[in-house]
Amino acid sequence: MQGSRAAQFELYKLYAKAMYNVALRILNYEEEAEDVLQEAFLDAFTRIVDFRQETTFGLWLKQIVINKSINYLRKRKMEFVSTDELSEVPDEDSFDDSEVRLQADEIRTAITELPDGYRVVLSLYLLEGYDHEEIAHILKISENTSRTQYMRAKKKLKSILEQKGMRDE
Amino acid sequence: MNNRLETFVKENRKAFDVMEPSAGLWAKIEQELDNKKKKKPAKLYLWMSAAAAIVVVFGLAWLYVGKLQNKDLEIADVSASYAKKEVHFAGLITEKRDSLAIFASANPELYKKFTADLKKLDEDYERLKAELPTSPNQTFVVKAMVKNREIQLQLLKQQLLIINQVDDYKRVNQI
Repeated sequence: MQGSRAAQFELYKLYAKAMYNVALRILNYEEEAEDVLQEAFLDAFTRIVDFRQETTFGLWLKQIVINKSINYLRKRKMEFVSTDELSEVPDEDSFDDSEVRLQADEIRTAITELPDGYRVVLSLYLLEGYDHEEIAHILKISENTSRTQYMRAKKKLKSILEQKGMRDE
Repeated sequence: MNNRLETFVKENRKAFDVMEPSAGLWAKIEQELDNKKKKKPAKLYLWMSAAAAIVVVFGLAWLYVGKLQNKDLEIADVSASYAKKEVHFAGLITEKRDSLAIFASANPELYKKFTADLKKLDEDYERLKAELPTSPNQTFVVKAMVKNREIQLQLLKQQLLIINQVDDYKRVNQI
């Protein structure tokens, strides 16, 4: 597989779009997301010998993409909310609002309006399907922080969606 | 508890991956891959030449040291006739030592004493050999070495004689 350019292109075609969206959700900047994508594919192709068949190529690549994206984000000096900030977290896990119309596009744009820390945790949990244990590992935060961050992100997302809904009507 | 958002996202997961990377990205990746391929052989070449250089240096050093060490040998370098004698004696000595070894199990104490005497002579020989390369009068040292061999041989002959007699005596007594 290593040498074959055609095989590499096949892999690129198969995964580029999904991986680009993963990076974009974390970074929120198209240029950076493309840089990450390029680096991730280069890494994956040159390190393919290291790829252990424990996971699929897609999951492996996704891990590379996420790690690189987070590194980019960290370079921008984003901090994943310190724990003291978490004391006033609301208990209610409320997204009970039937009045909010759930539209993929609206949610997607609303997510881009979230602050970095919220957006990353929410994307990893909601869209990339990682659990809080994995997110804690990826972001090097506590599992509890991940959980509370997610709750708050969801709440914030809801309020953004509500605002939009009101504006629409 | 409400999971509407989670459920919705799960059911409409595809609708969230709508953005496309720019069309030229693969070309960029391909170019990088080509660059890496070109760099690799150069790098490999560099490593290989470094390795070869190390091997050459070590080889030369080994040869040089080997030559230095070789210098401490050889009576033949000093005198061919003495060398011939020495070889002749050395051959006989080995022979006699083998003969002596046969009696070893029957007369362990005697054998031990004999070999201790021989060992002393052998040590003297090694000392002379070590002196040879630096000695101002090499012929003298060589003579001493050959003499040492001769003494060893004579000693062995006597030892054999004694051990033979002792053995005979023991056997007669046994009967």
